[in-house]
This record gives sequence, C-alpha cells and structure tokens, in this order.
Amino acid sequence: MIALSDYLILGAILFSLSIAGIFINRKNVIILLMCIELMLLAVNINFIAFSHFLGDAAGQVFVFFILTVAAAEAAIGLAILVVLFRKRRNIDVDGLDVLKG
Amino acid sequence: MSYEKFIFYVFAAILVFAATMVITRKNPVHSALYLVLAFFSSAGIWLMAEAEFLAIVLVLVYVGAVMVLFLFVVMMLDIDVATLRAGMIRYLPVGVIVAVMMLVMLWMVVGPENFGLEKYAAPARHAADYNNTAELGSLLYTVYMYPFEIAAVILLVAIIAAISLTMRRREGTKYQVPSEQVAVHKKDRLRVVKMEPEDKMELK
Amino acid sequence: MSFDLNTLYPVMPEIVLLTAASIVLVIDLFLKDEQRILSYSLAQLGLLATIVAVVAFGGSHTDIVFDNNYIRDPMSDLLKVVILIVSMGMLVYAKEFLRRRDLFKGEFFTLSMFAILGMLIMVSANSFLSIYLGLELLALCMYALVAFDQESDNGPEAAMKYFVLGALASGILLYGISMIYGATGALDFAAVHAAISAGSIDKIVLVFGLVFLVIGIAFKFGAVPFHMWVPDVYHGAPTAVTMFIGSVPKIAAFALAMRILVDAMGALHADWQGMLVILAVLSMAIGNVIAIAQTNIKRMLAYSTISHVGFIFLGIIAGNNEGYVASMFYAIVYSIMALGAFGMIAMMSNKGFDADQLDDLKGLNQRNPWFAGMMLLLMFSMAGVPPTVGFFAKLFVLDAVIGIDLVWLALVAVAFSVIGAFYYIRVVKLMYFDKPVDDTPFVSGADTKLVFSLNGLSMLYLGLFPASLLSLCTAALV
Repeated sequence: MIALSDYLILGAILFSLSIAGIFINRKNVIILLMCIELMLLAVNINFIAFSHFLGDAAGQVFVFFILTVAAAEAAIGLAILVVLFRKRRNIDVDGLDVLKG
Repeated sequence: MSYEKFIFYVFAAILVFAATMVITRKNPVHSALYLVLAFFSSAGIWLMAEAEFLAIVLVLVYVGAVMVLFLFVVMMLDIDVATLRAGMIRYLPVGVIVAVMMLVMLWMVVGPENFGLEKYAAPARHAADYNNTAELGSLLYTVYMYPFEIAAVILLVAIIAAISLTMRRREGTKYQVPSEQVAVHKKDRLRVVKMEPEDKMELK
Repeated sequence: MSFDLNTLYPVMPEIVLLTAASIVLVIDLFLKDEQRILSYSLAQLGLLATIVAVVAFGGSHTDIVFDNNYIRDPMSDLLKVVILIVSMGMLVYAKEFLRRRDLFKGEFFTLSMFAILGMLIMVSANSFLSIYLGLELLALCMYALVAFDQESDNGPEAAMKYFVLGALASGILLYGISMIYGATGALDFAAVHAAISAGSIDKIVLVFGLVFLVIGIAFKFGAVPFHMWVPDVYHGAPTAVTMFIGSVPKIAAFALAMRILVDAMGALHADWQGMLVILAVLSMAIGNVIAIAQTNIKRMLAYSTISHVGFIFLGIIAGNNEGYVASMFYAIVYSIMALGAFGMIAMMSNKGFDADQLDDLKGLNQRNPWFAGMMLLLMFSMAGVPPTVGFFAKLFVLDAVIGIDLVWLALVAVAFSVIGAFYYIRVVKLMYFDKPVDDTPFVSGADTKLVFSLNGLSMLYLGLFPASLLSLCTAALV
C-alpha cells in the first residue's frame, strides 16, 4: 500500500525543487512564476494526501480554494509582467536594479 | 511491489522529472510544456488519492486555462533567450545546496518515521457509488459558504486588476465600432452609377 | 439544513463594504473624468457606513458564525474601526496626489476598498482557510496598486518583486498550514488549539509546521531577514500606494499573527517565542542602522517600518495579555504615524516631481510652519520622544518584555531606538535649520489640511492621554 509518507515526500521533493528553481532562475521572471505554481502544487499534494488519510474532505476543499487563488494570482502576475515588459523590453530580473538599497 | 504502488512510483517519477526540467530549461516555452506534464502526472496521483474532482479540475483549469495563459504571454513577449542563459550557472550551486538541505530536513520530518503506514493506516476505499463531486459540492455551499464568497471576490479583483493594468488606448490605433458597423445603410456604401456606353473603343 | 438569517448580522461590516465597493465599481464605469470625485465620495461614504456597521453590530460578546470560519470579538471590532478610519485618512491624502498625477481613476478606489475588505476578513478570520483567503485578497489588490501608475518607471519593477516574494511567502505559509492540518486534522483555530493542547500529537511535526507559519508571517510583516521587498516596494510604488501599504496592513498583519500564533498555536508559545525574539532583534538592528544611510525618505521610512515591526513583535513575544495589549497599541499608533509621514510626502509631491528626497524637506518651516510643526510631532513620535504617543507605545512593549524577565531584550530595544532617533531628528533638523531648495510656500486643500492637522495633533493628544487608547485596547483583549 502507498503510505502517507510517500505522498508527503513527493510533496517535499517538489517543494525543494521549486525553492531551488527560485534560486537558479533569478534572471527569468516567467520561470519564477512557474516555480511558484510548482510550490503550490507541492502544497496541494500535501493537502490531498492528508485529506485522504484523515478521511476528512476539508483538505480537498482547501485545495479547491488554493487552485482558485493561484489562477487569480497567475492572471495578475502575468499582467504585471506584460506591463514590465512594455516598459523595459526585457524580463531580466537582474536588470531590475533601478531600485537598490 | 503491488500494482498500485508501481503506478504511483511511475507517476511520481514523471512528476519529479518534469519539475526538474521546468526549473532547468532556459526556454520558457519548454518550461511551460514540462509544467503541463507535471500537472498531468500529479492529476494521476490525485486520482489515486481519491480526489477525482480536483484531478479533473487540475487538468481542465490548470492545463486548459492557466498554462495556456502562460504560453500566450511567453509567446507574446519577445523574450531574448540568450541573455537569460547567462546567470544560470552562477546560481546553480547555491540553488542545489539550498534544495538538498531543505529536502533532507523535510524528509526527516515527513518520512516514514512520522507518517508511515504504522501511524496512518491506509484508509478503506470508498464504495463504488461514492461521488466525490457531490461531496465537495455539498460542503462548499454549506460549511464553506463564507470562503466561497471570498473566493468570488478574489476572482473579481483579478479581473479588475488584469484589465486595468494591461489596457491602454494608444494614439493612432484603429478600433472597430460595432454599433456603427451594424447601423450602415445601403446608400452609405453603395453607389449605382449609370453610364452611357462609349461609342467606340480606340485601340492603339 | 436551514440557514438562520441572524448569522449574517456579525458579518455586516464585510457585507456593507463589499456592496459599497461593487457600487463604486459599477458607477465609475459611467462617469466622465471630471465627475470622478463622485467615486471618491462614494468610497468614503462606503467606509463610513462600514464603521457604522461595525459599531452597530459589535459588542463585548463573541460571535462565531459560518461554521467556525468567522469570528467577531471585541478585538476584531477595534481593529476594524482603526483600519477603516486610517483608510479614510489615506483616501483624503491620496485624492490630491492622484489628481495632480492624472491618476485619479476609479480602479484606485475599488482596488483599495477590496484590499480593505481583505484586511477585515483577516481580522475576523477564525480558520486557516478564511485567513488565507483574506490575506490573498489584500495581497492581490496591493500588487495591482503598486503597478498602478503606468507612466512610472519603477512601479512595475517594484510590483514584480513584491509579487514574486509575496507569492513565495504565501506558498511557505500554505506549506505550514498543510502540516498543521495534517497533524491536527482541523482548520479552524479553536479546534487546532484544542488538538494541540491535548498533547497527543508529535511535537516535531507541529514545530516543523510552526516554522513555516512564522516565516510566512515574517514575510508579510516585512521582518528581517524576510524584508527584502519592503524598501523596493515602498520606493517604487506611487506615494499614495506607499502610504496605503505602509500604514493599515500592519494592523492586519498584527491580527494575522494574533490569530495564528495565539488563537491557533497558543500552546506552542515556548517554541515560537524564540523564533520571534530572533526576528525582533534582527529587525530592530538592521532597520535602524540601514535607515541612517538612506537619502530617499520613502526608503528611510521603509527601514524605519522594519524596525517598528521588531517592536510590534516584542509585545507578542511576551505571550501574555499585557504584551498583546501593548503590541496592539503599538500597531495602531504606528499605522497612524506612518499615514501622517507618507501623507506629508504625498502632499509635497507635484506633477512629475516626487518629493521623496530628504533634501526636499529642507526649510519646510519657512514654507509652511504649521505643516512643519505637525511633521515635527510625527517624527518625534516615531523616534519615541515624550510627550508624544510613540514614547508610550515603546514604553508599554518594553514593560511587557521586562515582565517576562527578558531584560536583555528590552536593553537591546532601547539601544537601537536611540540609534534610530538619530535619523528622525535629522529630518527635524532639515525642516527647521536648513535653507529651502525651493522656497515657494506650498498649498493644499482644506480637507487635506484638516486631516493632516488631526493626524499630527493626535500624536500629542494620545501622548498626553495614552489611557484613552490603552483602555480601548485592554477592553478589546479580555
């Protein structure tokens, strides 16, 4: 049988990968946004696994809301990206050093 | 290894592979496509955990809408991939170190020691006529009505924000005015000209 | 299953505000640019109506409705009223600033109102689900507002940084919530508290989840070492938005910390106390020291915010009622001070010119002595000079820390606030003893002048009679 720890370790691997992705892709905003989606996916796997093993549907409801918020977040994030690109003609975050301190 | 466990590991392996590719590809289009693969395989894993409704939603909403939006933006913005390659090598070591440290710590807590089958026995399967969608739906509209309303407001805010940020009226851009297009009459556009045929044609 | 209409009464403030925001959203579509003042008036009216709703349906009892997702208690009443009043002041300052910048658009008001709604939801949340959704509602509105000025060079960049770090913080917070949910099997705070107090759960899993929760909260507060976004966002956002982000959300963040750390994780006080001590000491140190080096007022105030966050943590660290009262007092006072200070920058800014350099404050006394006097009170209050209220805010949190025998922590706090006093006093010196760069007297509307005067004088009033606010805070936390 699949143990709860299998699901949680999978979530942990995804979570670590997304953190690594945020470190590696500092220059590429659009991949940063994808890393955030990966991180939310890791959290969702945790919730679904707990919900399954606790026999409590609340975890699944929480995932439903995370998916909703993540979709809204992606829309706003991409809108900001488009505005930024219009201003700068690139999406290089290292280039985002006008603000420094 | 049971058949079920085998399927789980296959999906998990594809998911981890796809996630690794997402963070290491230089071309955002490739990353986005690998992310689609990651979503598909995690939908498979969710099905095994009996979250059927969410698995379908993940494919329909995430792959169908959010990832298409990502791809759309990536292709709309003319991104110079070459300049984005540069910094990756520089940050790679620190990224790997942080990720490995993090994974080790997470593993120690969420590993079989605390969450193994002895502590959390595998739950009994639902009956064949169990309807996951109906269960979530009835919860959502009763116990979770208040969060449900807030989620509606969040989506409204996303609409307002996305439109107000990206809409701009540029000088010199031509717009259609559908009401004017519909309201034209034949006499505005078409003129029937009656001409006398010419007497003779000069061919030279 | 039946639905009792009475359960809607405690939620009335949120309902009123949501209705008002939707009305502003729709009416604004039909307004011409010169009629935009109507959206502004409707927004103010909506906030006022919400205050009335809070007071009318409030009281000293506690209501928990919507299947434990919503709580209305005296603390939520007081925090909501303060959030709404400070937001009304914010709109007054913002009005003139936006007009001069050609930014006077309806979206500003609707997004601000939805952000305020998000804060009210956070203040009244009684489960991890509602607090997460309130937090996201607030954050999404803020991301959009920071990028609101399309002419600005720095706005979109600041918004992008804010977005990425904010989404990261939410992800970390969610991971923590998922662990706590897995360990306790519950999402509402009372049930989580009960499950933890029962003591049968593995401590390591709980503490592990707690670490993620604390990191998420620290990110949202802007505490060191999770403060990277604060200076850039404060600097890059239009001043009207900086004023918003810098003031009211601190109260909402206080509510976030109280609800999660005290209501849900209260039984683990010994564990989160240590984490908060580290965050508080680092915030006070880094915030105050780096602020000295800044030449841009918005950045200076950003680092000063970071140091004030350290002080707000001090009261929570104490872990008793006295500490929570002191912390709440500090958060409220801070939001009023920050509103005034950023309001001053907004008033001095003009079309195409942001008065965000320290030099722009030079000789303010010669240009407008009354405003300089008010700014003096605000700066003294931030520095903690008696008899302004900032002194008492600091005194109460220090008292709370000494009350739990952490005298060294109190000494560290005093030392850093003495260092911090330097850059506030420098602003005062610039205003009174330097020659103005541009000596035209600057003017502002009567309503702005009135609000700014009230804002400055409140520092003095609350400083002379601190018991007036303190008794409210004490009554709110019984």
